[in-house]
Amino acid sequence: MKRRTWVLSALGVTGALVVGWGLMPARSRLGTAATMLPTEGDVGLNGWIKISLDGSIILAMHRSEMGQGVHTALAMLVAEELDVPLHRVRLEQAGADAIYGNVAMFVGSLPFHPLDSEGGHKPLSVRTGEWLVGKIARELGINATGGSSSVADAWLPLRQAAATARASLLSAAALRWQVPAEALNVQAGVVSHASGKSGHYGEFAQAAAGLAPANVRLKERQTWTLIGQAASRTDIPAKTDGTALFGMDVRLPDLLYACVVQSPQLGGSVAFLDAKEALAMPGALRLVRLDAEAGGSAGFAVVGKTTWHASQAAKAVQVRWAQRPEGSLDTQRIQAQLQARLASDKGFTFYDKGDVAQAEAAAKRVIQAQYTAPYLAHATLEPMNCTAQVKDGKVLVWVPTQVPGMARAAAARVAGVKDEQVTLHVTLLGGGFGRRLEVDFVAQAVRIAMQCEGKPVQLSWSREEDMTHDFYRPMHVAQLSAAVNAQGAVDSLRIKSAGDAITPRWMERGLPALAGPIDLPDKTASEGLFDLPYGFAHQHMSHVATRMGVPVGFWRSVGHSHNAFFSESFVDELARETGQDPLAFRASLLRAAPRYLAVLNLAAEKAGWGSALPAGHAQGVALHESFGAIVAEVAEVSIEAGVPRVHRVVCAIDCGTVVNPDTVAQQVEGAVIFGLTAALYGRVDIQDGVVQQKCFTSYPMLRLAQAPVVQTWIVASTRDPAGVGEPAVPPLAPAVANALFALTGKRLRSLPLVV
Amino acid sequence: MNLNINAQSVTVDADPAMPLLWLLRDTLNLTGTKFGCGVAACGACTVHVDGRAARACVLPLSVVAGAKIRTIEALGTADKPHALQLAWIAEQVPQCGYCQSGMLMAAAALLEAKPHPSDADIDAAMTNICRCGTYQRVRAAIHRAAGAAA
Repeated sequence: MKRRTWVLSALGVTGALVVGWGLMPARSRLGTAATMLPTEGDVGLNGWIKISLDGSIILAMHRSEMGQGVHTALAMLVAEELDVPLHRVRLEQAGADAIYGNVAMFVGSLPFHPLDSEGGHKPLSVRTGEWLVGKIARELGINATGGSSSVADAWLPLRQAAATARASLLSAAALRWQVPAEALNVQAGVVSHASGKSGHYGEFAQAAAGLAPANVRLKERQTWTLIGQAASRTDIPAKTDGTALFGMDVRLPDLLYACVVQSPQLGGSVAFLDAKEALAMPGALRLVRLDAEAGGSAGFAVVGKTTWHASQAAKAVQVRWAQRPEGSLDTQRIQAQLQARLASDKGFTFYDKGDVAQAEAAAKRVIQAQYTAPYLAHATLEPMNCTAQVKDGKVLVWVPTQVPGMARAAAARVAGVKDEQVTLHVTLLGGGFGRRLEVDFVAQAVRIAMQCEGKPVQLSWSREEDMTHDFYRPMHVAQLSAAVNAQGAVDSLRIKSAGDAITPRWMERGLPALAGPIDLPDKTASEGLFDLPYGFAHQHMSHVATRMGVPVGFWRSVGHSHNAFFSESFVDELARETGQDPLAFRASLLRAAPRYLAVLNLAAEKAGWGSALPAGHAQGVALHESFGAIVAEVAEVSIEAGVPRVHRVVCAIDCGTVVNPDTVAQQVEGAVIFGLTAALYGRVDIQDGVVQQKCFTSYPMLRLAQAPVVQTWIVASTRDPAGVGEPAVPPLAPAVANALFALTGKRLRSLPLVV
Repeated sequence: MNLNINAQSVTVDADPAMPLLWLLRDTLNLTGTKFGCGVAACGACTVHVDGRAARACVLPLSVVAGAKIRTIEALGTADKPHALQLAWIAEQVPQCGYCQSGMLMAAAALLEAKPHPSDADIDAAMTNICRCGTYQRVRAAIHRAAGAAA
C-alpha cells in the first residue's frame, strides 16, 4: 500500500470512528439505582437519589465541601425539584461512577473568548468545541471540585435526577389511588389528592422504583421556593462545636501517626540517612523512606504513637540531602529567564483581532509596561494529610481531597491493587484553594501504611512541610503595549506573557494516562489576558509557556489571579495616560459588552465613585470576568504607617442564576481577603532550591484587624449559574493597586504591592 | 500526670514536654481543637486555660497541670449552646470551618473579660488566622452575642 493511501485509509477509519462516536447519544448522567450504595430501608431511584422509608431524601454527594457551601447548594437543587424542605435532604458520599465526573470544569478549559457567546448565541466553533470536550469529559468521568464549576455542572443533571425521582413517586401514588398523576399535589414531601388521600414520599418509594417516569419536567423559575433564597448552610452547626470531621480528625482503633520530612531543596533526594537514634526515642515506631510521589519531593516519614512523638523523632533522624539533578532552583534567576523568554520567544497566540502591528506603526504614541507576579503557596489552614490502612489486599483511605477518583487511583497504584480494592472516604476539607487537586500526600500515606502491618496510619504534614512543598502558583511576567492614535484614542492592545503552564504538569502528576507527549496550549496561562471585554479595535494576546522546574499548581482563580492584575492595572494606566477617569474610560470601551458595563456601574454607584472621601483616602476600580462570572470591585485605601490599608471593598457580581445568595456574599467576602493577603504580602522566594517562606510568620495572612468592610451586590439574572468561589479574587489586586496610584501617583507593577 | 479538662479530672501517662494540643487530639481524641502551625502563629489550637485564651500547640503539659482547661467540646452543650455558637450560626460565619473552634474560644475568652467589646477590643483580641476570610462575620457575630447577653 502506498503511504498516501495508507494515511488516507487510516484517517478514514479514525474519522468514521469519531463520527460514529459523535452520533452516539450523550452519556446520560442520571445513572440507575444500582449506581448508589444500597442501604437498609432506603430505595434508590437513580444514581443520585434514594428515598428513605420515613420520606427523607438521600443525595449522592459527589463534590467536596471546602467552605464554598457546595453541599448546601447542591442539596437545595434537589430539595427544590422534589418539593421537600432542605433539612429533609441527607448526604451520602457518591461512588466512583462516571456520572459524578465534572463536565463543566473541562468545558471551561476551552480558550474561547467569552464575548463571542455573550449574546446567548454561540458560534459554531464554540458549540463544536464544547460538544466535543463535554462528550470526552462525560466518558472520562473525572470527579473534581474545582474551577468554580460545581453548581454550573450539577445544574441540569441534579435537577433532572430529582425531577425524575419525583415523577416516579407521583406515578406510584397515582397508580395506588387510581387518580391521574397531574391531579396530585406535593408539599414538604407529602403527596396529596383532592379526595383527601395523602402520604409522604417514603410510602411510595418501593412502588416508584419499578416505574419508568413519564412527563419529567423541571419546575418553572417562577415556582421556585428555595433556589435564589438565602439558606442556612447545613455544614455550619458542626463547625461551631468541634464535631465537624476534617481529615486530621479521623480517629480509628489502633491508629498510628506519621509525619514527613521532605528534601528542603525542591526536587532533591536522600543521600544518607541514619534513624537509629530517632527510633530509640519514646513513642517512635518506624521509619519509611519516600520517593518523590505524584510530583512531590522525596524524603522520609516517621511513624509514632502520636503526631508529636513522630515529629520529635523525625527531628533526631540524621539525614544528608542530595541536590536536584538539574541544579537548584532560584526565583530571582527564574524571573530573569522569564523576562528573557518574553523578549526572545514568539509564544502561542490566544487571541488576534485587527492588526496590532499596523496600529502601533501608525500610532502617535505607544504606551508600554512590564508586570510581574511571584510564586505563591496555598497555605490551607489544615495542612496536607491523609489516613490510610492497607490490609488483606484492600486499601482504606480517608482524605480531604478535591479529586477523590485521582486519589483512589494514586492509592491503588502505590499499593499495587486495582482501583476497586480501594475504599476512599472524603472528609471535610480545611481549605482547598487548588492544593487538594494534588494527590502527592495520598500516595505517601499509602506507602507508609504498607509498612504498618495492617494498622491505620494518619500522615499529617507540619506547617513548614506544607509551605515548602506546595505546588505553587507560578511566577508570570507580562509585557503590555497600547497604541494611542492621532485622535488621542487607544485603539490597540498587545499583551505577551511568560510563565509555566499548569494543566500539562497536573495531568502528568494525577492523570498520567491522559497526559500527551507534548504540551497543548494551556488556557489557564493566558486567561484574564486574551479574553478581555474591552473593545480595542486591534488586539493580540500571546503566551510563552515555560517549564522552570518549580512544582506548579492551580491556585484559587488560577491564571486570572495574576493576569487580572496585569490587564486591569494596565487599563488603568491607559486611562491615566490619556487623561481620562478610569471608570469612564472603561465604560467607553464596553459598548459591545453591556453586562460588563452594568456590573461596573453597579459597583461604582454603590461605592459612590468620584464622591468626596476622607482625607488621605483614594478609590480604585477593577473589572474582571472569570469562570463565567463578571465582577467589579472598588477599593478604598489609605496609607497607614507606610503600608497600604484597605478600608472598604464594594463588589458587584453577575454570576447568572444564584442558588444561595448568602453563599455568594460569603465567597465574595472570603475572596477579597484571600486576594488582599496575596496583594499585600504574598510571595514565595526560592533560594538555592529552598523555599524561604516556612510559616505564617514569613508568609503572613491578613488578620481581622486589617480586614476591610466588604459589601456585595448581586446582579439579578436568569442565565445559567456561573462560578462563585473564585471570581472575586482576580479584581482585588488591581483595584487596590489602582487606588494606590490614585493616592500616591506611583504605579506598582509587581506583586506584592509595596508603597 | 493529672489534668483538669472540661471540668473532668484526667490522669495521663505522658511526657511533660508534650504540648497540650497533641494530648487533646491524639491521646484523648478531642479533635475539635485544631493544628494549624505549631508555633502559636495562627490560633487554630486556641483553648481556655483558667478562663484565658491560650494556644495549645506551644503549651507543654507541665505548664497546664493543675489548671482548668476548656476546649471547644465544652463551650456549650446541645441543649444550651454558648451565645457565640448561636451567633456564629445566625451570622453564617464558618466557611471551611477549620479555624472556627479557635476563633470561638478566642471570642469566648474575650467576652468573659469584656462582655461588650468595642471594635478595637475585637481587633486586639481576635488575632487568629482564617484563610477563608470570615473576619467580617466573626466581628458581627461577637457583637451579636454580646448584644444577646445584655
